[in-house]
Amino acid sequence: MTPFEVKDCALLIRMSGLSPAMNLRELRDRIATCSENVLYHHFCETTLRPTFDDPDYRNDFAVWAKLYLGDRVLAERLGILDPYSFERMEGLRAVTLEVIDDRLGELTTVPWVRSGDEFLFKEATTVVFDTGERIGHPRELAPALRRMTNGSIYYHFLEALRRIPMGQDDFSAWLLEAGKEYEPYLRSLGSIDYHFHSLALLRKELVRALTQMEDAQ
Amino acid sequence: MSPSLAAYESIVNSSVVAQLRRLGKKLEGRRVVHVNSTREGGGVAEILEWMVPNMRDVGVDASWEVIHGTPRFFDITKGIHNGLQGKPVELSKKDWMIYQDVNEENAARLRPVLEEADVVIIHDPQPAYLLQLCPNRKGKWIWRGHIDISRPFRPVWKYLRTIVEKYDASIFSMAEFAQPLPHPQFLVPPSIDPLSEKNREMTPAELSGVRAEAGLDPDRPLLVQVSRFDRFKDPIGVIQAYRLVRKVAPVQLVLAGGGATDDPEGKAVLEEVMEAAEGDPDIHVLLLPSGAHATINGLQRLADIVLQKSTREGFGLTVTEGLWKGKPVIGGDVGGIRLQVVNHHTGFLVNTPEGAAHRIRYLLHHHERIKEMGEEGREFVRENFLLTRHLREYLTLMLAIRSGKSERILLV
Repeated sequence: MTPFEVKDCALLIRMSGLSPAMNLRELRDRIATCSENVLYHHFCETTLRPTFDDPDYRNDFAVWAKLYLGDRVLAERLGILDPYSFERMEGLRAVTLEVIDDRLGELTTVPWVRSGDEFLFKEATTVVFDTGERIGHPRELAPALRRMTNGSIYYHFLEALRRIPMGQDDFSAWLLEAGKEYEPYLRSLGSIDYHFHSLALLRKELVRALTQMEDAQ
Repeated sequence: MSPSLAAYESIVNSSVVAQLRRLGKKLEGRRVVHVNSTREGGGVAEILEWMVPNMRDVGVDASWEVIHGTPRFFDITKGIHNGLQGKPVELSKKDWMIYQDVNEENAARLRPVLEEADVVIIHDPQPAYLLQLCPNRKGKWIWRGHIDISRPFRPVWKYLRTIVEKYDASIFSMAEFAQPLPHPQFLVPPSIDPLSEKNREMTPAELSGVRAEAGLDPDRPLLVQVSRFDRFKDPIGVIQAYRLVRKVAPVQLVLAGGGATDDPEGKAVLEEVMEAAEGDPDIHVLLLPSGAHATINGLQRLADIVLQKSTREGFGLTVTEGLWKGKPVIGGDVGGIRLQVVNHHTGFLVNTPEGAAHRIRYLLHHHERIKEMGEEGREFVRENFLLTRHLREYLTLMLAIRSGKSERILLV
């Protein structure tokens, strides 16, 4: 089988140029018109960013609704959205807008935040580079994962989900080449609920899933 | 002398250092010049002290130039600095002319180096005008604003903006600090150096020395806030919180900081703090000289809980330092403290002295939580706020700038 090429990546964040949102309606209007990169950043790139992983929600919109708008109902509805379950970002945008529109319909006033708590729209470039490391055999995958940076884990597991073929991480795509013998590995990787994991925890889970399979064999 | 990059392998995973070397390889031989206004003292010089040698270590041809100026020039740039942070200041046309003239004098000396460089990074407003004085520049010029310019005094920003907007890009520490500009504005939070005097591990003997010098009781809980004597750091609020806790627990408080003597407002705040602390032998107000890094390090390490009860804050590197030393931090719900302190994980965000007192009491009653939160905070800093991450983002930025593309994925 073709050796697995280990890539690494680093995130470079920048301001999107959109005006900050002071209230829920402004948030809605900016989400309706922002670029897909902005949506992607606030939904998917949060794990690779230098901030504490919010213990409750993975996407920035839900965190903002909870902490600054003080709207826990909206936070819960936004927080459950799984960006990786949408084939296209436009689908995610439509559902996000629907959740916000529903909430605006339920409220008698538009919730505002105090000055300084505005939602600031950002986007990022993921700079990807080859590490030069190659993995020749599926048995070498777990030890290699232990050594990988957060950037490698992000690129091969989360970022990969949005590349063609959609919804498949790079490790699983590679193990598919290894034949039937490794199908249990694939199932094990597929069972990981990565939604709440930080990258460090995700690395642990991936290693656990793979070593468990090896031990079972 | 800054430690080599290899020295950090014992702190971050070796793969992190390998990642930096790989990124550096892509930029091998590129000439990068940093320019600021002082070789010693202040946060920017502290950053450049480690960043320049480490950039060289990974293969970048990095250098550091410092502009020279008259006392009048630095008075003016101090005014610009204060104006950018929102303080109303009077800057006349003549002041701006002096600002430009001093930049012109420096340009005459630095022009050959700057015009030949692949990337020039100009730190803060003092040398910002150099760009206009280097018309034959070949590389990309980046303005790095280290201060919070979210609510500037408009006349100062209006003028400086005409200078800064000509750059190819700018860098701010946080999105909240930025101003709209017609070029890409990158976000690179600051970091701490875990091997510096302020953050290195200390021996039990060194810690005993710091404890004895400050007159602290080893058997009673210690609360520590390290910050300038500045109203936005709310030292009086910290004393109020301490008094509320003191009713039920025998705590000691250290308020340690410097920079009060040459700053009239700082002096007034220090006097207020001394007055509020008067008569209580368990409140230790320490006015430290600017180089007292080991004392600060020791105090933070001796603390049971670190406080940073600011009502307005920049990034809040003292929070990062406290977390790195494995202490839960009780901090004001403002600025960069919000990025670092998460309730029940790395500490608590509070809005009042009462809130701070409540959380201090909670932690003193749940000693196991002090340890757990401390460990979580230290790992959080290891992942996100050490200089290795800071260097990585500068290298990444240079690669992105070189490509001239702004796509979401950039293969290098």
